[in-house]
Amino acid sequence: MPVEIPKDKWPGSIRTVTLGATAADGGTRGLTVTVGGQTALPYMHFEAQSPNPPVVAIEIKSERPEDWSSILTEAWGEALDDPARWAARAQDAGAQVLVLALSANDTPESAVKAVKAVLGASGLPLIVLGPGQPEKDNDLLVPVAEATKGERLALGLCEDKNYRTLVAAAMANGHLVIARAPMDVNLSKQLNILITDMGLPADRILMDPTTGALGYGIEYGYSVMERLRLAALQGDSMTQLPMIVTVGFETWKAKEAKVGEGVPEAWGDWRERGLHWESLTAAALLEAGADIIVLRHPESVRRIKIAIDELMVTA
Amino acid sequence: MYIIGENIHIISEKVKEALTNRDREFFMDLAVKQVEAGAQAVDINLGPRKKDWEEVFPWIIEAIETVVDVPLSIDTTNVDGMEAALKTIKKAQPILNSTSAEPERLEKIPVLAKKYGAKVIALTMGTAGIPVEADARVSIAVETLIPRMLEIDFPIKDLIIDPLVLTVSGCQQYCPHLLETVRMLQYAWDPAPTISVGLSNVSNAVPNENRALINRVYLAMLMGVGLQMMIANPFDEPQNEVIHWIETKDQSTPLGRVYNKIAERIAEGDEPQMEDFDLSDADQAAIWKTTQILLNKVIYADSYLNQ
Repeated sequence: MPVEIPKDKWPGSIRTVTLGATAADGGTRGLTVTVGGQTALPYMHFEAQSPNPPVVAIEIKSERPEDWSSILTEAWGEALDDPARWAARAQDAGAQVLVLALSANDTPESAVKAVKAVLGASGLPLIVLGPGQPEKDNDLLVPVAEATKGERLALGLCEDKNYRTLVAAAMANGHLVIARAPMDVNLSKQLNILITDMGLPADRILMDPTTGALGYGIEYGYSVMERLRLAALQGDSMTQLPMIVTVGFETWKAKEAKVGEGVPEAWGDWRERGLHWESLTAAALLEAGADIIVLRHPESVRRIKIAIDELMVTA
Repeated sequence: MYIIGENIHIISEKVKEALTNRDREFFMDLAVKQVEAGAQAVDINLGPRKKDWEEVFPWIIEAIETVVDVPLSIDTTNVDGMEAALKTIKKAQPILNSTSAEPERLEKIPVLAKKYGAKVIALTMGTAGIPVEADARVSIAVETLIPRMLEIDFPIKDLIIDPLVLTVSGCQQYCPHLLETVRMLQYAWDPAPTISVGLSNVSNAVPNENRALINRVYLAMLMGVGLQMMIANPFDEPQNEVIHWIETKDQSTPLGRVYNKIAERIAEGDEPQMEDFDLSDADQAAIWKTTQILLNKVIYADSYLNQ
């Protein structure tokens, strides 16, 4: 008996956002990355072909991270001491986008220097995050935005209490911003409205809905992403933005991934557990509609890229 | 629409100050003004008053009954305070606000209401908190609240069920459920229990400039499903205008037409449609956007009107 598979036809679509600019467009990137453009729920290829697969980014730091799990530090070795080397290694490991997280110890000069070094070492599009303290973020990211005019970096994080300075810097220098709200659909949408009200076009915003690692609230993060994506497809223009999720950051602070001692033996091999924690969190969020997955371990990157290739296969 | 005036509420700084000063004139004036504005009952919410209830409840009742004849709604969680107020009331049949389906409150408050011949507002909320699905709220009414009233021989005509309005800012997905709850409750028992809601809860945590609009649009929807009583601000003139338009089916103005249309659509189990609105008119466009957030079609954001 023939079975007819019901198909949804959605009135809305996700905006297309391009990171990075090549020389032709006023930047120095060797390539650009475009995300978004979906007109159906993730991987429902029988309803609509997704024009842009999700991409994997690797997070690197402007200075050696002191609190990272040894599983991560062993993987990157001496590259941890040099953002340029780290960037090159990350590119070799399969990153499609780089994320450079600045440190609270950075000065405007050292931040600009680190960003320039990374741009020199790799032709990938770049996301630059401040250390996460509003004033410090602005102090570092404004000079970075100015020193890299035209590169179409994504700068973050914009949050409800601190977005104006960063948005203005992005507008004036041809960059994008990342808008982050604390796992709340209403606040996500509100922040997108506030940012576009300042005059930044919506196709220069990525939204970070905030997520939790496996076992640490992933289901809440998943639901928020699902709701935002459904609203977007139903035509809600201020939710039609590609989503970025910081999986590496979330997973490697979870005890299960971070530490190998003082946990039950039944938990099994520590390294494998950590990698599972990162890649399973990432895989779940891909299904929720993540467009950019930020990871820390090169092996998770390899696994997730395979998962994406398989998810993108159309029958 | 039977409005229980909500303005004597301890959340207001002025009320707090007047109470501290035992400013009799202030409360008398606020009661009279609410009744003049159309309130058919006056709610009195001074909090639990754990320390001075013996003095405060009789004092306020005596003051307010000096100037108005309408029913007073005793809005407190303090059962002793309720009884002190009931003993003082001399005029109209009072309202106890409120009991819930939580065993301890349901045990005491209906008995108290019966003893003094008061009406009682019963919330569809049990120990597990507020259920969100319409069916679950109706179940609490039919399986817990009404049986308790029958058990103590409390007249169902004096039972007022409050199915609990939740805010569109954070609990948006439940706003449509409340409409269905109100619709269903009217068929839940014979005689149908009276239903009342606290309207302004729908705009809790919403920036002030948008609260009145959200309240009004939700009111039109609630009137569509048959709401006839609410605790609300009787001084809200545009709100009173909406009530008048819908009750008299007055469609002589564009806004009168729009609010009637919203009520009609909801009454028919339908939803307001874009073509019901002249979107070139800023007021109507704002009302249309508000229907969409209240029906959970578009995600709420504080700046939803700017979208």
